Amino acid sequence: MNVQRLRLISQFVFFVLLTYGGLFAIDLGSRMPTFSCAFVPDNGGSCFLIGFQHMLSRPLPEFLGEQGIRLLKSLGIVALWAVVINKAWCGWICPFGLMQDLLTRLRNLVFIDMSRFGWVTRKRYKSVKYILLALLILIPLGIGNGVPGLSRDWTAPFCQMCPARPLMPLFRGDFSEFHIDFSSWPGLALTTIAVILVGLLFTSAFVKRRFLCSYCPMLAVLSLFDKVGFLSLNKDGQKCTRCGNCSRACPMEIREIEEEKTLSNLVTQDCILCLKCIDACPENQALEARFLGMPIYTASAEGFLKRQNVDLLRLKRKKKR
Amino acid sequence: MKAEDKKPSRRERLAKKIKTNLSMTVRELFEQIDEDRSRPKAMAYFDSIFKNFTGGGENVVQVPEGQKVIGTYCVFVPEELVYAAGAHPVRLCAGTYESSEVGEEYLPDVACPMVKSEMGLETMPILDFYQKCDLVALPGSCHWKLKMAEMLEERKPVHVLDVPRIKERENSRQYWLEEVKNFKAAVEKTTGTRITRKTLKGAIRTVQAAQVEVHRFFELRKAIPAPILGRDALAVMNAYFYDDVSRWAAALAELNDELEQRIAEGVHVAPASSARILLTGSPMVFPNWKVPMIIEDLGGVLVADEFCTSQRYLSDMVAMDEGTLNDMMMAIAERYVLPCSCPMFSNTLERRDKLLQLIEEAQVEGVIYHILKGCHPYDIELKMMEKLMQDKGIPMLKIETDYSPQDVEQLRTRIEAFQETLRGRRRVQ
Repeated sequence: MNVQRLRLISQFVFFVLLTYGGLFAIDLGSRMPTFSCAFVPDNGGSCFLIGFQHMLSRPLPEFLGEQGIRLLKSLGIVALWAVVINKAWCGWICPFGLMQDLLTRLRNLVFIDMSRFGWVTRKRYKSVKYILLALLILIPLGIGNGVPGLSRDWTAPFCQMCPARPLMPLFRGDFSEFHIDFSSWPGLALTTIAVILVGLLFTSAFVKRRFLCSYCPMLAVLSLFDKVGFLSLNKDGQKCTRCGNCSRACPMEIREIEEEKTLSNLVTQDCILCLKCIDACPENQALEARFLGMPIYTASAEGFLKRQNVDLLRLKRKKKR
Repeated sequence: MKAEDKKPSRRERLAKKIKTNLSMTVRELFEQIDEDRSRPKAMAYFDSIFKNFTGGGENVVQVPEGQKVIGTYCVFVPEELVYAAGAHPVRLCAGTYESSEVGEEYLPDVACPMVKSEMGLETMPILDFYQKCDLVALPGSCHWKLKMAEMLEERKPVHVLDVPRIKERENSRQYWLEEVKNFKAAVEKTTGTRITRKTLKGAIRTVQAAQVEVHRFFELRKAIPAPILGRDALAVMNAYFYDDVSRWAAALAELNDELEQRIAEGVHVAPASSARILLTGSPMVFPNWKVPMIIEDLGGVLVADEFCTSQRYLSDMVAMDEGTLNDMMMAIAERYVLPCSCPMFSNTLERRDKLLQLIEEAQVEGVIYHILKGCHPYDIELKMMEKLMQDKGIPMLKIETDYSPQDVEQLRTRIEAFQETLRGRRRVQ
């Protein structure tokens, strides 16, 4: 079975589960580390960020009591989710990732070329997701503690600017979130950004793969579990020829996967565990994905040929001379 | 005037003489090779390419009227582009001693024998296909090759590809991609055919299909006891230089089938007691079979090699990703440079790992490091490789030689002693 097809199926299944699950009385809770938007009516499980931001907008002393315990409990659930399949949330589940992957497939169908970041630019943008993460923690804390200038209009600032909020409810026929909020300045700014990001989602997919993921604060959260997560992406540097196939195939344009010769676990900051690097690797056992140390997908010369669709029939005894 | 036309010039007479000498060398070589009765039958196809080497040989650059021929050097010329334009690539790296003397007219004494030999063949009508080329693509891999390009420019259309020496950098990769695009334009201009997404994809598939057999071949070679001699393996890979890719691949598939059968039946060319040797270093091209002939005549067997005329040439494949023209161009550009273990690059990492991997997989007992006098890149890396082998406890013999047959006896003595050491080590273990 082609792993990329399997991944697409998984993304689809989770998209349906998370977007329409409520209709079938499925509820995976509201502490999920993935962009299944809480604004989707009857969702089957939703993103933890909205609750997280609300919980944070309290006066600091409250965190020493019950509120702190509630926060820790909530984060504990997120951590549990994250440890089990760490970055596979991004590559295999996230509905927003599915949108981007589908658009990329559409782009491939019509043979539109993609572009890549320069190496330096790519590196520079890495910090954006941490800045966003810091802001989505600091702004609610500021609101709860009366920092001047931060009114209630800033409530859940990340959700206000997140493109999933206007987009995802559309799949349930709910257009109410697809708007720009003119009621306040912060609302106007943040909701405008959200709508622009929706536009960017559709346009950027025709230029780059997984463009928005590079800036996603959820990736920053999940990357805390890179080294402790049950899923790992391992490399045997000795077997690697540094042919660069992996980093060329990588939708997140990660260079370490190709350059690293000594490090074993290569779930890096931006890795989304889509395993396209293993697809592209022609060297036996050079790359391997493991779950709790057990190999689940290993690079092989044979598999590489299969995925490259090399037409072996072409060789079928072409009459010599 | 007419009479003068008929009378061959001094140069033509010289060319004819060289050609006769070369045919004699080839005939003598095959007299030796044919003595070996245990060779796989499927080798006959590859022999047919070399036996009548000077006469054009069967299957040597047979192109239909009108098809363009593009000569290539080294391992950096993307052949997929040549095939995509409907042209026939022929690799011109040469191993003929006879033409070296002519080459010496153009080059200093210390120049490597390969480039001397090539200059001779390029400037004299000795081998047909050197004169047939509509374009010669020359990567500036070493300085000999780079300057050779300049010397050839006044004689024929030459396209130089500048291979970046540091492959880990973004700017070198972009530069190399541009170089490959320039080459594409040159091929399109020469052939008058535009390379499209479809033709390029087809060309990639064709070469990949041949490479599948190459991989199979190198796997089969590793068997104990060896089912094929190393010199025959070198000849098989060398035949790719001149043959049509698909025809060659079909012949190799046949050979592979035979080797598979041999391994199953226990038929071998050298007993399990023969020393298993890996050959690396400066390239070896037919008919410069001097070193492999000596090694295998003395009872050793070459089970692996790390030559740009053999393993390195065809091992790595183009990995297609998105299938647009640009994506394929990038995949092609990277395939020819990134995994390449040529010593022209700034680091030896790829070569070290490749050697160690081959040694482990083919259960190699000793390494022979072949240096052509004047081949600086390999000479410079020698010490580093010596150290690596020392650390890993693998005996290594350095051989510095050229294309002349003068040092055969001396080499024989040294290689014999080396093989004796390997046998001694085995007894101790």
